[in-house]
Amino acid sequence: MIPLATAMLAVALGAGQSQHEKPGGDAHLSRATQLVREQLYEAAAGEYEAALTSRPNDPRIHLQYAVCLLNLGRNEEARKEFEKVRDLAGESRYVTYYLGRIDLLANDYESAIKRLGAVAANPPFPDTAFHLGVAYASFGDDKAAIQWLEQAVKALPRDYRVHYRLARAYSSAGREQDAGREYGLYNLLLSEHKSTEKEARECSDALRTQPATSAREVCYHMFDPNDPEKLTVLGQLLGEGGAYELALDPLQRATHLDAKSFEAWHDLGLTYFRLERYVEARVPLEKAVALRPEFYGSVVLLGGTLYMLGDDEAALPVLEHALRLKPSDTETAALVERLHAAQKKR
Amino acid sequence: MPIVAAGAAGALQSHTQEPSGMASRGIKPQPRGKPSGLPFHAHFADVASSAGLRAPIIYGPTDRMDYILESMGCGVAFLDYDNDGWLDIFLLSGTRREGPVPGATNRLYRNNRDGTFTDVTEKAGLVRQGWACGVTVGDYNNDGFDDLFITGWPQNALYRNNGDGTFTDVTDTAGLLHPGKRWGSGCTWVDYNRDGYLDLLVSNYLVFDFEKIPAAGSTPNCDFKGVPVNCGPRGLTPERPMLYRNNGNGTFTDVTEQSGIGRVTPRFGLDAVAADLDGDGWQEIYIACDSTPSLVFHNRGDGTFEERGLESGLAVSADGNEQAGMGIAIGDFGLDGRLGALKTHFAEDTAALYRNLGHLAFEEVTQRSGLGVETRYVSWGDGIADFDNDGLPDLFWVTGSTFPEVEKQHPEFPHKTPRVLFRNLGNGRFEELLDAAGPAISEAHCSRGVAFGDFDNDGDVDILIMNMNEPPSLLRNDVSGGGHWLKVKLIGTKSNASAIGAVVTAAYGEKRQAQAVLAACGYLSCGDRRLHFGLGAAATADIEILWPSGIRETLKALPADNLVTIKEGVGILRRERFGK
Repeated sequence: MIPLATAMLAVALGAGQSQHEKPGGDAHLSRATQLVREQLYEAAAGEYEAALTSRPNDPRIHLQYAVCLLNLGRNEEARKEFEKVRDLAGESRYVTYYLGRIDLLANDYESAIKRLGAVAANPPFPDTAFHLGVAYASFGDDKAAIQWLEQAVKALPRDYRVHYRLARAYSSAGREQDAGREYGLYNLLLSEHKSTEKEARECSDALRTQPATSAREVCYHMFDPNDPEKLTVLGQLLGEGGAYELALDPLQRATHLDAKSFEAWHDLGLTYFRLERYVEARVPLEKAVALRPEFYGSVVLLGGTLYMLGDDEAALPVLEHALRLKPSDTETAALVERLHAAQKKR
Repeated sequence: MPIVAAGAAGALQSHTQEPSGMASRGIKPQPRGKPSGLPFHAHFADVASSAGLRAPIIYGPTDRMDYILESMGCGVAFLDYDNDGWLDIFLLSGTRREGPVPGATNRLYRNNRDGTFTDVTEKAGLVRQGWACGVTVGDYNNDGFDDLFITGWPQNALYRNNGDGTFTDVTDTAGLLHPGKRWGSGCTWVDYNRDGYLDLLVSNYLVFDFEKIPAAGSTPNCDFKGVPVNCGPRGLTPERPMLYRNNGNGTFTDVTEQSGIGRVTPRFGLDAVAADLDGDGWQEIYIACDSTPSLVFHNRGDGTFEERGLESGLAVSADGNEQAGMGIAIGDFGLDGRLGALKTHFAEDTAALYRNLGHLAFEEVTQRSGLGVETRYVSWGDGIADFDNDGLPDLFWVTGSTFPEVEKQHPEFPHKTPRVLFRNLGNGRFEELLDAAGPAISEAHCSRGVAFGDFDNDGDVDILIMNMNEPPSLLRNDVSGGGHWLKVKLIGTKSNASAIGAVVTAAYGEKRQAQAVLAACGYLSCGDRRLHFGLGAAATADIEILWPSGIRETLKALPADNLVTIKEGVGILRRERFGK
C-alpha cells in the first residue's frame, strides 16, 4: 500500500496521528481520539482537557470533549461543554440533540421534547426519533410517544430496544394487539442479537487466541446467508482480524440482503480499500456516504479512494467535506491543499 | 451505554461487549444532587457478635470462587418458631467442595428476649450440611406453628414444626423429594388457589454439576474485565420454576405443567416472591432472573397462570435489556395504595424501582426517583421498609462481589462492599445515605440474603444479613425522632393460618400505604410477617385488610405504637404496646 493510502486509512480508522508526529494540542487531541475509540473515556477526557488548554476556543474540541463526558455519565459537565460549543459556533442540530439527550437523562422531559422535537425533522442521528418517543412516553403523552417510536422503528428496524419501547407505549395506550406484535419483534430481535453477540465473542476470542485456520472455522459458525446483521458483524470481525479477503463475501452478501445497511456498505468499502482494490471500493463507499453523509470515516475513505483512482476532480469536494466534518485532520487538509494547487496549475 | 454509542457513532448495537457471563448494562452513575440535609432518625449498629451470632456462614473458599455455586450464597430468616412473640433467627449455610467443614450447618437461634440468641440447631433437629440456598417460612399444615422449606443443591427440604421446639424433615413423605440433582434457588409459600393451604413455588437457577461446569476462564463467559472467573450463568443451561399444590393432608402434588408455570422458556431464576400485584385478590408470582428476562406469572384465578413479564414492564430494563436480577422487594414506596417493586442487579447497573400503575402494569422509575446514582456494586437482598418511622418507606439492599479474584487487578471492583440505603424524601425521590445511618451501613462485607424484622420488639425495623464466610450481621435499629408506628399481625382462619398473601392498607395522616404479608423477600430470605407501618406524626391509623380468602375487614383509629393481632373474621385478638 502506498504511503498516502496508508495514511488515509489510518485517518479513517482514527489512528492516524501518533503523539510523536504532532506537538501540543494536536497531540492531545490525537491521543484523545484514539482513547475514545478504545472506550477509555476517563483517559480521553484528560487529553481533551489538555488540548483545550492550548486551544480553549476550539468548538470542535469542546464538542468531542462533551461527547466523551456524556459517555462517562458526567452529564452536567457535558451539558456545560455543549453549551460552550453553541456559544462558540452557534446553533447546531448536533448540540441540540445532545442537550435533549441530557435533559432526558435528567428527567426534564419537557425540555427534552422541545430540543429533540426541534431536530426531529432533520435528525442528526438515526436514534433521534427514539429518544423523542421515550421523552414523550416519560412525560405521559402516549399518543406522541407512539407517533415518534413508530418513526424510530422505521429508522432502526432491527434495534430490539426500539421495538420494546414501542410495545410499552402501545400497552400503555391499551393497544394490546399492536403491543403483542411489537413484543414479538422485540423477542425475536433480542434473541438474534444475543446469538450474534455470543458468536461474535467466540469469533473475536478465536481470532485473538487460535491459529488462523481454526479461528476462521469458529467465526464461520456465525455465517448466516440470510441475516445481513450477522454477516456484517462477521465481515467486521474478520477484517479486524486481518482476514480481508475472507471478509468480502459476508459483507457483499449483507449489502445484497439489506441495501440500506450503512454498516455493510461502509465495511465493504473499507475492506476493498484495505486490499487496495480502489475500483471496487468506490461504489460501496458512495453508497455508505449517501446513507450517512455526515459520517466522517466513510467520507474520508471515499475521498481517498477517488484520489487513488486519479479522479482528482471528484476527490476534491469529497475531501473538503471530510475536512469540514473533522477540521483537525491534518493529512486530509494537506491533500486538499495539494489538490487545490494542482487545480490552479491546470 | 449502547444508545450513546449509537448516537455518537451511528454504529450498530455492539456485539462484542459484555465479555462476561453476567448481564450488566455498563451503566454509569447519575450525578449525586445536593444533599437534602434532612435528619435521618434510624441508626444501625451491628450487634451480631454481642447477640451470640458468631459462627461464620461457610460458603465456598474465602479467597476465590471457582464455581458459580460457590458464589451465589444463601438466605436468612426471621421467624417465631416457638410462638413466644419474639423473632428467632434461621441462617442457611453452604459448604466447601473439598468436603464437609466442621460447624458448617444451617442454624436456628432462639431469641432470649434480652438482645441475645441461643443456638438451638441440634435440639431442633435442623443440623444439615450442604449447599443451602433459599428459605421460606409458613404454616403449611395450619397447626399454628411455622414450618420451614429450604432450597439448595442438589436437593430441597421441608421441615415440619412439631410445636415442641423440634422439626422433622418430611421432604420425602410430603412428595417434595425430586429425582436427580437440581439447584433450587428462590422459594415462597403461596396459596395460589385460595383453598386455605399454602402451596409452594420453587425457582430453579441452572443445571449444575461440579464435574461438568467449564473451568474458570475457559470461555468468554468465564471472564470479567480480563480476569478469569467462575463460569456462568451465560453459557450454562437455565431451568424452569416449579409449583407444588398442597393437598391439605401433608403432601404436595407437582402442578408445574398444568398450572402453566412450566410453560415458559427456561431462565436463570433466583429470588421468588408471591403477592397480589394487580389487586384482584389472587397472588401473582414474580421471579427475578439472572441475565434473562424476569418472570411475572399472572394468577388467572382458575388454578392457572399466564406469564406476563414483558407486558407488565417487570421483566427487563426500561430500554429492553436483560438484567442480572437477584433480589426482589415488594412495597408501596409511593404511598399510592399499590404494591411496587424493587429489583437488584449486577455492578455497572442500577437497581430497578417499579411503580404499580394498576392492572399488572408497572412503570420503571429508577432514574427519576434518584436511584441512578448508585451503580457500583453487585447487589442482592433488598427491602422496602420505613426504617425511621417517618411514614415513608425507604429502600435498602446488601452488596458483594461474585469474583473475589478481580479486585487484585481491578481495585474498583472490591470483593467486600458496603450496604446501600436510600431514604424516601416523599416527593417521588430518594436520597442515598452514605454515612448518615450508622457505621453498620458503610461497613464492607460480601453479603447475599437479607431479612427485615423487629427482633428486639422496640417498634422499629432491624436487619439480618448473610455474609459469605463471615458471621451474619444483625443490624439493630435504634430509631429516634419520635415517629409513631403500628404493627399488624394477621392470623388466618378461612385463609391460610399464616395469612400469607393478605394485603393491609393503612391510612394515617394524609398518607395511605399498602403492605403484603410475604413468605419471601430480600434474596432467598424471609422476614417478619408482622407488618410494620411507620406513621410519622400520626397517632392513629385506619386499616383495611384483604385476606387471601377474599374477605375484607376494616378497623378504624387503631392507636399508634402497638402491635395489633387480628384474627380473620374475629377481629382484634390483642394489642401489645411495646417499644421505648
